[in-house]
Amino acid sequence: MMVESSPRLQQRLKIAAYLLIAGLVLEAVTLYWSSPLSFILFAGGAGTLIGLGIIVYLIAIAAA
Amino acid sequence: MANHAVTILVVLSVILIGLLILRPSLTAVTGGKVLAFIALFILPISALALGSVAHLQHATSTSFCLSCHPMEAYGKSLRIDDPTYIPASHFQNNRIPRNEACYTCHTNYAMFGGLKAKMGGLKHLYIYYFGTVPEKIVLYEPYNNRECLHCHASARSFEETSPHKEMREQLGGNEMSCLTCHNKIHDVQNADKLKFWKGPS
Repeated sequence: MMVESSPRLQQRLKIAAYLLIAGLVLEAVTLYWSSPLSFILFAGGAGTLIGLGIIVYLIAIAAA
Repeated sequence: MANHAVTILVVLSVILIGLLILRPSLTAVTGGKVLAFIALFILPISALALGSVAHLQHATSTSFCLSCHPMEAYGKSLRIDDPTYIPASHFQNNRIPRNEACYTCHTNYAMFGGLKAKMGGLKHLYIYYFGTVPEKIVLYEPYNNRECLHCHASARSFEETSPHKEMREQLGGNEMSCLTCHNKIHDVQNADKLKFWKGPS
């Protein structure tokens, strides 16, 4: 049976998805960038974006 | 190896997340909900964990240490063509892994030593980008014999030779530094006057 999910849930999932894509792409870049800054960018940038994406996703499913 | 695994995870995650962005109605059915859970939770967490392992592994490499300009001279000193220079003879004779040369001797072989080394590395990064790199680079604390003994302790060439045998207790207790006798270390100040080995890296 197919049940239409609410627009609010879909909007939150979309935000989580964009944050996760940005974080994952940034993580991939840092892995191939040989610079002392790559670790900082990984931990501070990619880690934050992925963490936020996961939190938004969890909030979305908890509030649904 | 870890880099490839992370890349595969990232590509897989991005494809699945992209699918969810293009077809949001997928999340209305149970299978779609499971897919969303895998794509938006399991895979990103796995990618982050594996990415951390890859980065920490890369941080132990000689190339990573030498990617900071002030360390270049120290990297060059590993190629001094004189066996009495301790770091150079260890590097050139494979007594330490060449791709982890700096880390092998400069990590701390005590509990949480690896963590301490990582914290030190972050401090170095901060000084490199936002502070002033000192003219002469010195260790935070005197070089501990423990780092030498991590490999040399119990080795016959060390234990049974004079004068190590006679002063074994003092060396083990760090009362006398190995560097008292083995005092030719990186010597970057005089590197211009020395000959260099042109062997493979």
